[in-house]
Amino acid sequence: MMKGSSYRLPQGGRIDRSRLLSFTLDGTRINGFAGDTLASAMLANGVALVGRSFKYHRPRGLMAAGIEEPNGLLTLGEGGRQEPNIPATMTDLVEGLVARRQNGWPSVEFDLMAVNSLASPLLTAGFYYKTFMGPTRGSWMFYEPYIRKAAGLGEGTYEPDPDRYETRNEFADVLVVGAGPAGLAAALTAGRSGARVVLVEQDSDLGGSLLSEPIENVAATWLHQRKTELQDLPNVRALTRTTAFGLYDGNTVALIERRDHLSPDPKKGEARQIVVTLRARAIVFATGAIERPLVFPNNDRPGVMLASAARSYLNRFAVAPGKRAIVATNNDSAYRAAFDLAANGLAVTIADLRGEIDEKLRAIAARHGIELRAGTAILDIEGGKAVKAARLGPVGRSDAGELRPCDLVCISGGWSPTVHLTSHGGIKPVYREDIAGFVPGGFARGQYGAGAVLGTLGLEASILDGAEAGAQAASHAGHAATAVSLLSPAVEGEGRYAIAPQWQVQSAAHGKAFVDFQNDVTVKDIAQAHQEGYQSVEHLKRYTTLGMGTDQGKTSNINALAIMAGLRDVTIPEAGTTTFRPPYSPVALGAIAGRSVGHHFRPVRLSPLHDWHLANGAAMTPAGPWMRAWYYSWAGKDAAEAYVKEMDLVRHGVGIADVSTLGKIDVQGPDAAEFLNRIYVNGFAKLPVGKARYGVMLNDDGLVLDDGTTTRLSETRFFMTTTTAQAGEVMSWVEFLLQAAWPELKVHVASLTDEWAAMAVSGPKARQALALAFPREDVGDNKLPYMGALEFTHDGVPVRLIRLSFSGELAYEVYTPADHGIALWEHILKAGAPLGIKPYGLEALASLRIEKGHVAGLELDHRTSLDDLGLGKMAGKEKPYIGKELRHRPLLQAPERWSLVGIECLESDKRLRGGSILFLKDDKIEGHGRGYITSVTWSTELNKYIALGLFSGGLRHEGEEIVCAYPIKGEQVRARIVSPHFIDPKGERLYA
Amino acid sequence: MLERRSALENDLQQSGRDGAKGDRALKLGEVRGWSLVQAAGFPTEAAEFEAALSSLVGTGLPAKVGDGVTAQGRTIMRVGPEHFWILGPEKDDLAERLSQAVAPTVGSILPLSHSRTRIFIEGAAAREVLAKGIPFDFDAGVFKIGQFALTGLHHTPVLVHRTAADRYEIYAMRTFAHSIWEWLTDAALPVGYEVVK
Repeated sequence: MMKGSSYRLPQGGRIDRSRLLSFTLDGTRINGFAGDTLASAMLANGVALVGRSFKYHRPRGLMAAGIEEPNGLLTLGEGGRQEPNIPATMTDLVEGLVARRQNGWPSVEFDLMAVNSLASPLLTAGFYYKTFMGPTRGSWMFYEPYIRKAAGLGEGTYEPDPDRYETRNEFADVLVVGAGPAGLAAALTAGRSGARVVLVEQDSDLGGSLLSEPIENVAATWLHQRKTELQDLPNVRALTRTTAFGLYDGNTVALIERRDHLSPDPKKGEARQIVVTLRARAIVFATGAIERPLVFPNNDRPGVMLASAARSYLNRFAVAPGKRAIVATNNDSAYRAAFDLAANGLAVTIADLRGEIDEKLRAIAARHGIELRAGTAILDIEGGKAVKAARLGPVGRSDAGELRPCDLVCISGGWSPTVHLTSHGGIKPVYREDIAGFVPGGFARGQYGAGAVLGTLGLEASILDGAEAGAQAASHAGHAATAVSLLSPAVEGEGRYAIAPQWQVQSAAHGKAFVDFQNDVTVKDIAQAHQEGYQSVEHLKRYTTLGMGTDQGKTSNINALAIMAGLRDVTIPEAGTTTFRPPYSPVALGAIAGRSVGHHFRPVRLSPLHDWHLANGAAMTPAGPWMRAWYYSWAGKDAAEAYVKEMDLVRHGVGIADVSTLGKIDVQGPDAAEFLNRIYVNGFAKLPVGKARYGVMLNDDGLVLDDGTTTRLSETRFFMTTTTAQAGEVMSWVEFLLQAAWPELKVHVASLTDEWAAMAVSGPKARQALALAFPREDVGDNKLPYMGALEFTHDGVPVRLIRLSFSGELAYEVYTPADHGIALWEHILKAGAPLGIKPYGLEALASLRIEKGHVAGLELDHRTSLDDLGLGKMAGKEKPYIGKELRHRPLLQAPERWSLVGIECLESDKRLRGGSILFLKDDKIEGHGRGYITSVTWSTELNKYIALGLFSGGLRHEGEEIVCAYPIKGEQVRARIVSPHFIDPKGERLYA
Repeated sequence: MLERRSALENDLQQSGRDGAKGDRALKLGEVRGWSLVQAAGFPTEAAEFEAALSSLVGTGLPAKVGDGVTAQGRTIMRVGPEHFWILGPEKDDLAERLSQAVAPTVGSILPLSHSRTRIFIEGAAAREVLAKGIPFDFDAGVFKIGQFALTGLHHTPVLVHRTAADRYEIYAMRTFAHSIWEWLTDAALPVGYEVVK
């Protein structure tokens, strides 16, 4: 219970004290309220230590209250839901939350690894590049596992994530990023014009900086009124807990919407996180600014936090982070934190680095009983696990100063406009002297900025900015709008900045002065990088790892480049910033994947005969996006056994295979024949109606693109087939040629791959099988010679027969519209049953063609030429065709080119393997050899392993003995080069 | 007549699923009993081609890609500058009549009735579910009844036709139909859906 905790204020804050929530921290149950973040709940319970730092294992406390938090990274969840490095400041407290602090062993309170601190002189920038290099070359791999184990902050899990993630698309007229005063004004103005507005806010509530105002003041009232107005506009959608993490071309923004606070149930389809791709006509960036720390020795002690963070914890969460506070600042904005802390009973001293302080602020400070010291800096902090005292001294004199007991130190080094998103498009931010900060360097068309991101740090000005930007954005999106004045609240002491930058406090104290808290990078590291020549900000970043943590340098980048500029004696604009890239803050990869998980990481493509295969003992295998029948159980219990039997059936009887995956293209028009003649190497212009022809097409570079068979159905209609693998590519290719290369040709092409089911009926008894299946048709050799085509109607549906063969046996391809596929397939099986017809699968299909020496995808890999494949004689000599010129270039004519050979295994107790590297008998077995095996099978005809391959000099080596080396398994097998046409070289079976 | 079998034969046997709130906000199913003919004119013959087509379907043709016109039991969509899809009843002699009326020098006619699976999604949550996978603005004020979009879903090309206030028909490639159906039912899980047999 909360009683006894002196950190929670008795009233105030935006928490709901009627809803007590319990959670566990490192196994201990503690409580907070609805409306708390994990961070505020921890603070309320007096948990000062939130983790141990990355390199030095220094005790750390919360530095911030928002996404910029570098220290308070905890591991949340258990089992498959475990997630490391989650900022406690961005985690809604929910009942039962499980949290663990990181990087301390055995505990964060007592961490043995803190001994690193003693070794810290060795652990400076780039230490791993300089140490662990010897004594031998292989030494690094000895040290590496230990370094890897010591590195990192939190640990993930290998268990599968049970949660559901989704993606979606969204469209808007106006997108407003950020719901602080400027963003609210923009959204309201755009919304009143009738535009479709989406307002995104990474926090759990709208309001931005206004959420840290005391709840009883006018700013809070203004906020409440604006929220009500927004809710009443049906065309405005406000998404909270949603971060815009990337800006892309075309006004496209990526959002991550978080729903953990709703405890989503994946079994009910409730998503935990959603990545939204939002396309907007206009975008208003109201992303605000982030406070930066002051740099001085031991500025990382628990209890040292940003002034605005202390104010947030105080006003928003009703947590007083201490009793005696010192507020150190170089600008006016921190005074508001000082005033609010004093108003809540803390003893407050302000150490203002500036010599001159505004009279009004002096007066208010005095009214609050605050001790105000101008020209004073914090030179050092005392206390290990918690701040105990701060040493205050005059600016410019780095000596001793005076030790002041305190338990809270609030620091403000100024505000850095949040220019990440606006810079994703490549427009680099520019420096403004007057605010000592970078602002967007410009905006693309249809993009606008408003508020603190532009360096506008006053409330009234921000609201005006927002209204103006909202009106411009709405107008750009086609909805006329005017910036109606939104009365802005007048808040005492607000709106003043007057920053006098001091990037680094000069101090004689020896402690580490941190610049990047998450990656433990100090001023000394920056100096060392400078000294060693890593002076550009890009080198500084990568050499020291500054800005490379999950916080991406939100509190460190500007301080660092300013310090480096000082060392280099250049101006800050000359030093420049590094490149801002998405994501703005970490996004789970699972969220980006959404529902493209499991077999849905890409779509699955199924033949129209798929269900029959499943119901009839087929084992299926993926072939690209397709699932294909691999082999059937009637033939054996596994692939190795089955395919041999299936091959046997095709060689001696008749089998039927599903070849629906082949690409099929309709080619129509008066110029269709001419078109085909230009893309195939062989002639198609004079192909007779009712005949098919095997064709090969080349790329412009003279290498083979694809092969297939094209049948002429009429004077102006052709039916083209392609390989399965290249179907899409060939379709795109022919469309491109007709649109871009030869738009004057009157040809239309359309894909028919899905329209038709296709079956191959193959084997010496194939004709008989088809005669039984189609008794009313004449399928004899006269009517249907080799490469002939026949179309007829069977039982009311169209059937097309084309007599061509992939297997080398007498064979026919049978086509019918897809919905009739299974019925026709079953009919053929039934009619042909007396002949023993059975189905055969992909494994047998592929192996049969190897015996025949037919090239397929493994040989047609876009690196082989027509001559490499032994098909050079196919090419027409007179006619032009794509690839004709470059086909003859010297590189493709070189005598030592790898060309197609057959390979037979000489060792009966060994096997050949695809991918084996080939050598001549007396070659030294090393390097890339003289070629490789492309396709392998066990030949039932020849009773040995055979293969196709590519070999330097090709069939000039016919008859010679070679070695097939497979280094992955340490195998070497003796073989011989033979003709690739292992069976029936004269093709007598085809003409049967 | 040799039996016809949908690519979704097995999928349509499933029962629907309740959504997170215990209700079923959507209806999912397949439209059967239709035919599709693609008719395309060559650019130089466009006027002659469109006159012939218009005369045969008995209505003026849609002016721009994305518009559909319904007449005499058929819907005509302009799917490209000179390309049209005509959806009609399952038994339709339009393809033959078009082949006779349109010479090969004027245009091409191609039956495609089996190449697509026609899935419908109906209900107030239809747009919300489609938005999960289709990068298209389905806002009711932007994408009106009778319009269609040539777009993509789950890395496959689809045509989406808005046929009523809360009803959309998706023409998916037949070989991807099962994958698309799995995707749709998964996307509809949070709101719940009924499978219409």
